[in-house]
Amino acid sequence: MERIVQGMGITEVLKIMRQADGYYITNTARDMSQSDYKNRILLHTDLLAAPSREEAGYFSLEITGGASVHVDILRKQVDPFLKLELLREKMPKTMFQTLCRGINLFGYRPYPQNVIRFVVKEFAKYVDVWRVFDFMNHVPNMQAVFEEVQAAGKILEPCICFSTGPEHTNEFYVKKVQEILDVTGNEIVLCIKNHGGLGSPKRIGDLVDAVLQKYPDMVIHYHGHNTDGNDIGRIVAAAMAGAKIVDASDHAFTGFYGPPPILSVIHTLKEYGRSAVGINEDAIMETSEVLQPERKYYEYFESQIKGFDPTVQIHKLPGGAMGSSLEQAAKGGFLDKMPEILHKELPKVQIELGNYWSVTPGSQILWTTAVSNVQGGDRYGNCSGDLKNLLLGKYGPFPFYQPPDWIYEKAFGPEWKKVLEEQGGMEAIEDIDIDKERKVLADKLGYAPTEQQLVTYLQHPNDAVNFFRFEEKFGRVYVLPPSILFRRGGFKLGESITFKDHSGKEHIIEMGPMQESEDGSETNVYLNIDHHQRNFVFENAVAQAGEAKAAKLSKKEIEDLAKAGDVRTPFTANVCEISVKEGQEVKAGEKLVVLEAMKMQTPVNSEVDGVVAKIVAKVGDAVQPGDELVKVTPSA
Amino acid sequence: MKKKILIANRGEIALRIIRAVQELGHIAVAIYETPDKDALHIRTADEAVWIGDGPRCDYLNIDKVIGVAKKAEVDAIHPGYGFLAENPDFAKACEHSGIIFIGPPSDVIQSLGDKVTARRIMKEAGIPMVPGTENLSAGDHGLREAIDFADKYGYPVMLKATAGGGGRGIRRVENEKQMRAELPMARAEAKSAFNNDSVYLEKVVINPKHIEVQIIADKEGNTVHLGSRDCSIQRRNQKLVEIAPSLIQDKALVDKICETAVTAAKASHYVNAGTVEFLVDRDWNYYFMEINTRVQVEHTVTEMVTGIDIVRTQIKLALGKNLSFTQDDVHIRGYAVEMRINAEDPQNNFMPEGGKTVSVYRSPGGYGVRLDGFVYQGFAIPKVYDSLLVKMTVFGFSWNETVDRLLRCLNNFVITGPKTTIPYYVNLVQDPDFKRGDFDTSFIETHSHLINYEEQASEGNKLAHLIAEIHYKGENPYAV
Repeated sequence: MERIVQGMGITEVLKIMRQADGYYITNTARDMSQSDYKNRILLHTDLLAAPSREEAGYFSLEITGGASVHVDILRKQVDPFLKLELLREKMPKTMFQTLCRGINLFGYRPYPQNVIRFVVKEFAKYVDVWRVFDFMNHVPNMQAVFEEVQAAGKILEPCICFSTGPEHTNEFYVKKVQEILDVTGNEIVLCIKNHGGLGSPKRIGDLVDAVLQKYPDMVIHYHGHNTDGNDIGRIVAAAMAGAKIVDASDHAFTGFYGPPPILSVIHTLKEYGRSAVGINEDAIMETSEVLQPERKYYEYFESQIKGFDPTVQIHKLPGGAMGSSLEQAAKGGFLDKMPEILHKELPKVQIELGNYWSVTPGSQILWTTAVSNVQGGDRYGNCSGDLKNLLLGKYGPFPFYQPPDWIYEKAFGPEWKKVLEEQGGMEAIEDIDIDKERKVLADKLGYAPTEQQLVTYLQHPNDAVNFFRFEEKFGRVYVLPPSILFRRGGFKLGESITFKDHSGKEHIIEMGPMQESEDGSETNVYLNIDHHQRNFVFENAVAQAGEAKAAKLSKKEIEDLAKAGDVRTPFTANVCEISVKEGQEVKAGEKLVVLEAMKMQTPVNSEVDGVVAKIVAKVGDAVQPGDELVKVTPSA
Repeated sequence: MKKKILIANRGEIALRIIRAVQELGHIAVAIYETPDKDALHIRTADEAVWIGDGPRCDYLNIDKVIGVAKKAEVDAIHPGYGFLAENPDFAKACEHSGIIFIGPPSDVIQSLGDKVTARRIMKEAGIPMVPGTENLSAGDHGLREAIDFADKYGYPVMLKATAGGGGRGIRRVENEKQMRAELPMARAEAKSAFNNDSVYLEKVVINPKHIEVQIIADKEGNTVHLGSRDCSIQRRNQKLVEIAPSLIQDKALVDKICETAVTAAKASHYVNAGTVEFLVDRDWNYYFMEINTRVQVEHTVTEMVTGIDIVRTQIKLALGKNLSFTQDDVHIRGYAVEMRINAEDPQNNFMPEGGKTVSVYRSPGGYGVRLDGFVYQGFAIPKVYDSLLVKMTVFGFSWNETVDRLLRCLNNFVITGPKTTIPYYVNLVQDPDFKRGDFDTSFIETHSHLINYEEQASEGNKLAHLIAEIHYKGENPYAV
């Protein structure tokens, strides 16, 4: 029984696995973090777990990809490449796995081909197993990633995204597998990606069996979620049907929407006569012993609603989106409408929009559409830019059927057929000039960026620059544990904090008093750093008594103002593009600003013909309903 | 016998003098204006007397200071530098009140303080001089004299207030048009600053080195020098960095300058400590500039390289002792550099940062560093006085060692609250020209890039900054 280790080529790996009597395990730590902790599990925690995870003998550790690359820089302030380097130091044998959204990479919308290839090449230096999917199961969307992964000699794991419903037959999926093989050749691991944890154990067993009937040598990696509490059932069925790799994670951190506990999988399958190859159960236990004390620091990021959710079989939200969706509902104050959204509207929207696979970014489109339909009253009355792109086929062809005409009419007006004819279909996204982007980034940073910094920047320009500046100001903060980084309510006077910085130098910080200046304008926080006193000054937010905050405008008022050329923010969002310049002539319907909310981009168009008089908003601004964006002077 | 000595000054120099007074076993009496009520010199002195609300007017008020001195029954007054230090009327008032003035006699201050008289004395003694005029006549006649002089020696020329000093009351004039505009302004400025509107002209020596010599003399006329100082690194005629001894390679030239200083002191019947200032041009000609009849800010560097306590010596001489050492006893050893750490923002045109509170004050220690300061953690810097916080004087056996130590000490210095000149000096001491000892009075101007620095925090401080922010906000604003 042979353990698979980092450095083995795909041919060798496939040969070992085909001969193996038993199955392999991938520890999907990243997916657990994303599904049950809003992606916040820190590198600090992963480094604590690294030695025992290394000993555990997994096929791979899924530790990057999905939304984590973005959250790494946005909320955890850790360089996604540095993370992999540091983990590799502690885990030389274990293969690292990523989840890549094909043409959408680790983001939410398509990237140019040259960016995709550049990003994959850079990540392939650290990532051994590449799980690649497309939410439309549209194989051409994954092709560039496939090619780069294979060129880098890494293990390619294309996915067939799985869902349920009358169209989702074995026949359909087996055909999909052939489409993939036509592009990749036979040297792949095939992933059945059950991101919602849908279907019964029997359904999954049947699917694995159907694939193996057609392709007996296929190494199948079953990926599921435990949202309904029954993923171990599906895992067992998959393994019994001949899947060679299954996904689970450490029980100290298992929740409701991510992977089930590894040990439960092992114990169960043992009774069925299947053994986990290369696995050291003691090391798995030790990992959870190490992790267990850390879990309490992540409590704030756990789901707003606790408990398994068997209704996932109805609403089909992927595990990776459960936490963030519930968070939006809680923050948006519509948690009480969740039954209606999840059990009535979302299934309806799914069917209406073609019963495609509810996974990023398609799941966000379904979710925001369902929320907007319920909240707005007028179904499809306020289509997001991404929904319009979906309808126009920009993400790929609908797999089974096209949405009904009335939705197109809602989205594009009575002339929708013309719009569809003129703008429909996938567009080749033009390559960008990467050298030029490198110079732009160098200008922004004031120094020449590394290739890795450029990769991060090409994916998330604004957030990457903010992150690099954050590091300049605050250093490499991954060295701080969650008990510090996620501390709420401040520290105790005299509390002492010790840690080693990135270079290994030990520091001791003792909390001193916090004092407001006499005029109340600033606050001094005193610390003893390595036994030397220092203070940091923070400007106090001034409650502007004189300036009354802009009165909250109703939706109607915002619409009326827009008709007069005073363009306001319709919903809470971030400004991600200003499409016009001051003094520019615009026509009614012309795009002025693009807003981003819930990862979806929505254009704000001019309601009038006129001239742009003033641009109030800036790219990156967080705006509230009623905030001024652009002023257009209507032409007489 | 125990004497009572009043220190008619504030800030670091008041503390410097108090230390000498107390070391000698005498009693130190401080005075203060209201804005200085929390100042350290009051706490350190044996007695402290409030002299008024100020600002600056009471420290300058001869009657008040003499009145306080009489009431406190002091034996002597040390004026420090600035304020009344070079005011002959003050020295005279002390003499009339039977109080010992620690410094030269009032008539010496008078004659050396009048730059034109001083030039005449020096000319008679055969001291090399920069070409210059007598005090200009009043009105248009004076303007004619000025233009004629400039035509003869060529522009640029310096317009100087006869009663000025310490870099104040000096204007550079580039052409006749400017002369016509500047002369009346210079007079008005001299009048308001020194209550004396006489001005004179001197030819400008372009980009000279500023070399000065510490001299000290007793009432018997025993006059010795304590070696040279280079104070070329100046910003708008205000010294920033001072070095002892001069780095001029030609030791014979330096010796000659020092001997000239002694001749100048003797010619003016100098008593007590003083400084003879010279300009040295690019052809190694040197010219007498003036004699400062007070203890200089930068006296510390001379103390470090000679081992002689100048302020103690001043007091002993004033109290009637003669010099206890001869020129042969004076040995210069090693190099010392003083950097004036000011509460100023170098990146904002050296704007003073007065009014701010020193929230953290952490000073360097170890071999070869001396600090003459007066601020402490929690001290609010008064807005109404100068911006000098602390003089850092660093000593080393060789020039290179001294420069290395300067950088180390600057890196060990932490002052938060006001911005300071420290980061600027960090750049300065790493400058190749500075390290080579290659500088003249144009140094600051020609090294404008020294202003480009970012205050780089250490990794520990960066992380502490985030911890402080998490503490202040009650949660990590970058993680929510």
